[in-house]
Parts: sequence; C-alpha cells; structure tokens
Amino acid sequence: MGKLTVLDGGLFTTIQDKGRSGYRKFGVPASGVMDISAYKKANFLAGNSENAPVLECTLKGGKYQFNTDATIAITGALMNPGINDNGIEMNTSVKVRAGETLELGFAKKGCRAYVAIRGSWDIDKVMGSCSTFTLGKFGGLNGTQLKKGDQISWQEISESLETRTLQNDEIPYYSSKRTIEFIPGPEWDQLNDQEKDRFLNSSFRVSSKSNRMGIRLESEKPIAMNQVDMKSSGVIPGIIQLPPNGLPIILMKDGQTVGGYPRIGKILDIHLNRIAQVPINGTIKFKEVKDFI
Amino acid sequence: MELGSLQLNGISWTVFRMGETTWLLQPNAEKGLLDVIHQAAFLLEFSEIQGLTDVIPAYESLTVIFSSSDINAKEVLSGLETKNIESELNSKTHEINVCYELGMDWKEMETKTGLTKEEIISIHSSQEYTIAMMGFLPGFIFLDGLDDRISVSRKENPRTKIPAGSVGIGGHQTGIYSLESPGGWQIIGRSPSSFFDITSEPPTQFRLGDKVKFVRITKTEFETRENRNG
Repeated sequence: MGKLTVLDGGLFTTIQDKGRSGYRKFGVPASGVMDISAYKKANFLAGNSENAPVLECTLKGGKYQFNTDATIAITGALMNPGINDNGIEMNTSVKVRAGETLELGFAKKGCRAYVAIRGSWDIDKVMGSCSTFTLGKFGGLNGTQLKKGDQISWQEISESLETRTLQNDEIPYYSSKRTIEFIPGPEWDQLNDQEKDRFLNSSFRVSSKSNRMGIRLESEKPIAMNQVDMKSSGVIPGIIQLPPNGLPIILMKDGQTVGGYPRIGKILDIHLNRIAQVPINGTIKFKEVKDFI
Repeated sequence: MELGSLQLNGISWTVFRMGETTWLLQPNAEKGLLDVIHQAAFLLEFSEIQGLTDVIPAYESLTVIFSSSDINAKEVLSGLETKNIESELNSKTHEINVCYELGMDWKEMETKTGLTKEEIISIHSSQEYTIAMMGFLPGFIFLDGLDDRISVSRKENPRTKIPAGSVGIGGHQTGIYSLESPGGWQIIGRSPSSFFDITSEPPTQFRLGDKVKFVRITKTEFETRENRNG
C-alpha cells in the first residue's frame, strides 16, 4: 500500500478525476479536472488508467511527504516542483523514495498543475466519481481541499513502468493572453449588433473571484443587454452567462446545473483547458465559431 | 444554433444545439409546460437511449447531454412516444416540517407583502406545491404554486451563507436550500429534515411532479428533530 501525508495543501488542492454524469437532474454539477488535456497526460505518464484521480493544484501547489516509494508525474502549470529541495522535471514520470518530500511552489505560467501518482487510489467514489465538489462537501477527501495532516493511500501496481516523457510539442505554452472560441448560445441574439461587436472586440480580464464554479471576467465597458425575466434553464461547463452587471461569467466544472442569466455563448470544450490555465488578471478575447455544425 | 424542431412524446420541440454534446429542447405548447417537460424527462429516463448521459428538466426547457458530439439529438429522440407514461407519474405527497421562527427575512417579507408574519405563514403552509425542478445546487427543490400575495422578489444583496434546510421565497417560487450555500431568496423558515444524501441512490427522495405540503413546527420540535438527524 502506497501512502503520502499532506504537509501543506497549497492554496487550493483537490482530488479530481473526469467528473460525474447522470445526476444533473438532481442539481449535481459535473466537477472533475478543469484542464482535461493536462490531466490525461499526467495519468498517461504515471501509467494510470485514463479516468484515475489526480491532485489538482491551483496557483500554489503545496508540500507532500511520501511514506512509501512512488512513481509520479506532474503536468500543467509551471510550479517549479522539487523533491527535498532539488528541482525535478515536469511532463515526465519521476520516482519518489519513501521519506522524501515533494513541493510545488507558485505557478509561474498557467494556473493549475496536475499530480498523478501511479496506483489505484483509495478514494471512495461518490455518485460514480472521486471528484471533490467543495460547495456540496462531497467527493475526494471529505469533500474539501487538502490540508495539513491529510493522508492519501493507493494500491501499488506491481508491474514496473519505463520512464515516460512528453515530446516538446505535446507541452502547451501557457500564455496569460488567450483567444477563446465560442459558439453562439440560446440568448446570443438578444444582444444588439453594437453589443455583439463590443463582446467580440473587448479584452476581458480574469477576476480574482474566479474559481472552479466560474471564471468571472472584468472589463471597463460591460456588455449591455435589455434583460427579460428569464426562467431558469439548463447550463453546462463552458456556457458564457451575462448577468445584469454586463460582466460575463464562464461556467466551469463545479458550475450550477441551471441558471437564470442569458446564455450568450458556449466556449468550445477544447478551450475549457485553455481558460483553466489563464491566471488571475490574464486577458482573454472571444472569437465566434461560425461553421460549428 | 437553432436547428428546427423534433417530435417527442407527441409534442413539437424547438431544437437548439447548445454545445458539442448538449441540446436544448423547448416545447411548442401554450400551457401545461411543466407537465409536458416532466413527462418527456421521464420518457427519456425510461427509454434507455444509448449515449444519453444527462437530462436537465427546467421550467420551460429540457436540456439533454450525450456522451459524444457524433450523436444527433434530432435523430435519436425524434418520434419517441410512450402511451402509458402517465402510469409512471404517480406522484407522492411529502409533508415537510418547517420552523417559521427560524426565518431570517420576516421584516422584509412583512413590508413587501403588507401582511403580518402570521398571515404569511398561514398562506404559505396551507398551499399544496408541485416540485417543478431540482438544481442550481444538488437537491435544491423549486416549487410551483406560490400564492401571489406572498410573492416577494429576491434580495438585492444575496447572503453568502444560508443554512441547509432553509425555506425561501424568490419571486413566484418557493423552495428549499438542500445544502448550506450562498443565495438571494427571502428566508422564511427552516426544516430539520435532510434533503440530499450522497449515501442514497438516488440521493434525493423527491421526484419531479411530486407534491409538497409544509407543516409548521415549533423551535423546540425543530431542535429535537434536528438532533435526531444529526
């Protein structure tokens, strides 16, 4: 049995996997990793199955002492990982010895790093998934972010693993200025042409109020819409909501299942990964995808 | 993107593709929308459609999510119809205990309705409500059937923390906060019952279309029942 002890959970580290489905009719969000591309790579490098749980570290990773030997892999945001103060490579499988401490610092590029540990994690699934949903206080470890003293254990895989490393062209560059492509949403045409242009030509800043529920955007010129009273209707991760203050919110993995704000667009699923790595105060622009279907 | 319409359970629905795998269906019906949507939601649930992973019933729409972007909702849902769906809709009636003394917005409720607290409680607890939808939060229950006299708009400044079990009024709806969460509804009471249990399958005992009646209890009764739950 492999095991680690959390010495410092960083700013916001949770256990996540692909997320849950089938429970949205009861109001249960998808949850799951914010950057599914980096997540899949981490599990591949650690020789795990594609849907295995990982640690999702946000902005600052934390410190983890390994009680047993382990094979790990780190992908995503650049957090200068080290073992016992010696820097280690990201995007490759790495051996950790019993007693050693893994530390991940502040993100220099990107926003979220993923730590996969080879093995079958000892985490009870809730509604089919190991993903933590902190607002609902379920999933992961007691439904909360990792904190000092928490322990994670796993069944080791006896088969040995040859070192796996990503090619350079498989490692994305995490820019703090991104263009996000979207398809028009059900309420897009409630915007007049001038406000559509404003939306398409503005640079939006990622607010510090952003979290796993939604990426909140700021702009000097909010988007105006004559809002009619709308009955709550289904929403999914990637939906761009426009609340009355005119500042769009991109719903993310822990986002609610229904909402009453106009859905002006839906960002492409592949760009959810992109937006998940834009840091606070990073800027994004929107580009409409016209030939989506 | 709007993509015409499809026939589902004998009703025409406007189809909108909301995302790679997600489609929004809006019934072209004048009235009885909730029933139409609930019946279609149950129909989809019982039909075991391959690749259909989620259905989100709401007041005026049904959102369906598939496992792949290759699945076309219009193709797989068109023409589905169950003649005997009504038999599956045997709704239950739930009696929910509420301690109105634990309400947090009585002043605002009295000012905005022009009624006394006792009058509001009497109106709220004499009505039978229908579960219109669940969502926003896991297990949050939206109820249809609020008396217009006690309809009060949401708070201008939402609270950051509302206790689990809180009974609220938001415009023409009343509902129950299943979990502690932020929220903007006027809170008029609290129930000692639990509304979402991750160890049960399904995690809620409530179903769309079920009836709900509120039963007034005292603070002492609330505390006794809450301790029993805890």
